[in-house]
Amino acid sequence: MDTKESVPGERMNNFTRRDFLKGVGMGGGALVLFGEFGVHSAAWALSGEPVLKMVLVDYAKCTGCRTCETACSSRNRPASVGGKELPGLGNPRYANIRVHGFNPDVDVPVVCAMCADTPCVQACPVEPEPKTGRRALYRDPATRTIRNDVDRCLGCRSCAGACAAKRTGTITPNPETGKPERICTLCGGDPQCVKRCPFGAMSYSRSGVTGNSTASGLIK
Amino acid sequence: MSGKAGYHGKILNIDLSSGKSETMAIPREDLDLFVGGQGLGMKILWDRLKKPGVDPLSPDNLLIFMPGPFSGFPVPSSSRTCVVTKSPITAPLKSDYPHASTVTYSNMGGFFGPEIRFAGYDGLVVTGKARVLSYIVIDDGKVEIREATKFKGMRTDAFDKAILAELGDRRFKTVYIGPAGENLVPYSSIIHTAGRAAGRGGAGCVMGSKNLKAIAVRGSGQPGVADHARFLAALEKARTALYGTAYAKSWAEQGTARAIVGNSNAGTEAVRNYREGTFPEADKIGGDAARRDVWVKDIACYCCPLACKKSGVTKGKYGGVVHDGPEYETGVMLGSNLMISDMPGLLKAITTLDDLGLDQISTGNVIGFLMEAYEKEMVDRKFLDGIDLKWGSVDATLAMIEKIAARDGVGRLAAKGVAALSRQIGQGSGKFAIQVKGLELAAHNIQANQPRGLSYATASRGACHMSGDNIPMQNRRAMLDSTGMCFFPTFEPALEEPMLALLSAITGREYDKAEFEKTGERIFNLEKMFNYREGFRREDDRLPDRFFEDAFTVGPKKGAVLDRTRFEAMLTRYYKDRGWDPETTKPGAAKLKELGLDLL
Repeated sequence: MDTKESVPGERMNNFTRRDFLKGVGMGGGALVLFGEFGVHSAAWALSGEPVLKMVLVDYAKCTGCRTCETACSSRNRPASVGGKELPGLGNPRYANIRVHGFNPDVDVPVVCAMCADTPCVQACPVEPEPKTGRRALYRDPATRTIRNDVDRCLGCRSCAGACAAKRTGTITPNPETGKPERICTLCGGDPQCVKRCPFGAMSYSRSGVTGNSTASGLIK
Repeated sequence: MSGKAGYHGKILNIDLSSGKSETMAIPREDLDLFVGGQGLGMKILWDRLKKPGVDPLSPDNLLIFMPGPFSGFPVPSSSRTCVVTKSPITAPLKSDYPHASTVTYSNMGGFFGPEIRFAGYDGLVVTGKARVLSYIVIDDGKVEIREATKFKGMRTDAFDKAILAELGDRRFKTVYIGPAGENLVPYSSIIHTAGRAAGRGGAGCVMGSKNLKAIAVRGSGQPGVADHARFLAALEKARTALYGTAYAKSWAEQGTARAIVGNSNAGTEAVRNYREGTFPEADKIGGDAARRDVWVKDIACYCCPLACKKSGVTKGKYGGVVHDGPEYETGVMLGSNLMISDMPGLLKAITTLDDLGLDQISTGNVIGFLMEAYEKEMVDRKFLDGIDLKWGSVDATLAMIEKIAARDGVGRLAAKGVAALSRQIGQGSGKFAIQVKGLELAAHNIQANQPRGLSYATASRGACHMSGDNIPMQNRRAMLDSTGMCFFPTFEPALEEPMLALLSAITGREYDKAEFEKTGERIFNLEKMFNYREGFRREDDRLPDRFFEDAFTVGPKKGAVLDRTRFEAMLTRYYKDRGWDPETTKPGAAKLKELGLDLL
């Protein structure tokens, strides 16, 4: 994969991004160089699933400010105030998106990639419900997001294990209950990370390798 | 717990001598009157250093890391941590106490302050001295002191990677010192994320004196707010005031480096050890050149929409990764002040200083002083350990930096700062030893900027360019640096009203412009009380003679020089307006009573 094209809109001077990333641990480096979402959108194309919308990141524009974490937390961890539900105070502990910062300065927001082949769902040991065929962890047919039925979830951490072993390790078990956290909800179709990013580094875009897509999976 | 909204109501106290840590409640009144950050740090220092003259490098000194009430909330640009301690570099001209020095506070961006609040504290206070080089790990309520002897002498960039590898989670936020702090260079910095620094005033030296290499913090909590709905509404307005504006974009484009050319053109830049205010080659080290040749990435602190930090890559003899810079202070102090216009060389010096953990401003100032003394043949090459310290020499600058950090040879004396150097060298060199109270001046030159001279002369930590050019500015900034918000977004007038609303919504105490400024005045006065008790008087608010004698010879402000009579008159008016005795600078009883400081 040509690294120069893996990050759309990147400003290139007389050095390569690879120079800059030298010394970055494989975690961040690999993600940026090979395009986290490039891999997953390729998988989507192979899966024969319909094109979907998902959160995409332009790593060249991300400044590492973590506003997305607070916006995500605020929406997905609302607060009850005087009996009314209001957006939360944005504690990043409860964000589904996480910005990983590296030295030298590379910042990589990581969010559930909504993988076509759902290794997390495959790993869920809960007996599928006869009517819906759903395990505790399942893909929402409308939004294509991954959801967890907390009442049926055993807290066995298998999904998190599968995500860590096969993908980015975004899914994290709650330290007490073991039930999965940090699965992107797409905020009901208005992802707050995209909306609140001060630098326009994120987009809510159709993904899939069709037409004139770039290696990152972003269809312009 | 104080039960006050917007706070946890407690600080974490860590005594390195005993290895014990405990949480301590903060009196609610202190939160109301001193807020957080610089203010609350000062109050803690005042309360616990009960007598003047405590040796700053003794176990008795406190090293205080303070976020503010904004910290940990997604308030734009609220990333700051204020490090408060008793200064190891300042001294009064006369005092009854051998170790008399000012308070010092150094304010840094990044992620550390918010993380302290996530961990459940409104501040960290470190006292005592560890038996061997150590580091502290704070993981929510768990506190552990670990041995750090294997990291001894490690430079900060390597250490930043090593400590995070050892901790195994990049969500830990870390601060640490380099070899300079370990070697007790008085103007050592504390570094965060390998490119951010609490640089001014020697907090890194105090950290070194405690045998403390680093602190790592990770947390998952957050305090509550007084008025949730009002907080959300004001947050929306604060974001609107900054997001996508030309103002924010201008910071993202060049950061403070824009001023390298701007201030040179205005005749307010430190050039050739403050001899001139204009640098003909400023464009070679300015923001446009850096954007073209160096910068790869704009970097922001926690929840900041400005992204003024820049990192990049240089090529050639001095090539390498640049974590930050040039920005105004670093670019000028190591650039125009030393007549260096080679961008990769300048950035090598800047990067090396962060790597060694030295304050960029004091170090640039010290080397500028030595270059001038060498040019004037007050010192010879032997004195400089063979370094040919000519104006503009990158190699000589790099060699001197290493000497200072190691306190080796000439570095032993140079590490003490320009006040000590000029006392040793004599020959009238005090005239161009550019310091106030022992702290070196920053990159703003003042022959053509008398108000900034007032800031340098009267700031509580010695020559500080951030203190404010008049009384209202000083008061507002003392308060701002107590909230956790950065100074840079506050030039945007549309931010003021939502910022005050946010502070009120978080703390439940109603802040308007007057109350904001009054609180800052209280903080500034407590700092003055501390310094006065140590023995600082009017004669210590004294600018170097250069500014009254050496008129600029080039640039648009050619001929500019300060007038001593006018400056002294301005000072007298300043003390009177402050409610202080113009002879001694002692804060007046009426003023202290008005501010609620009379019982302290």
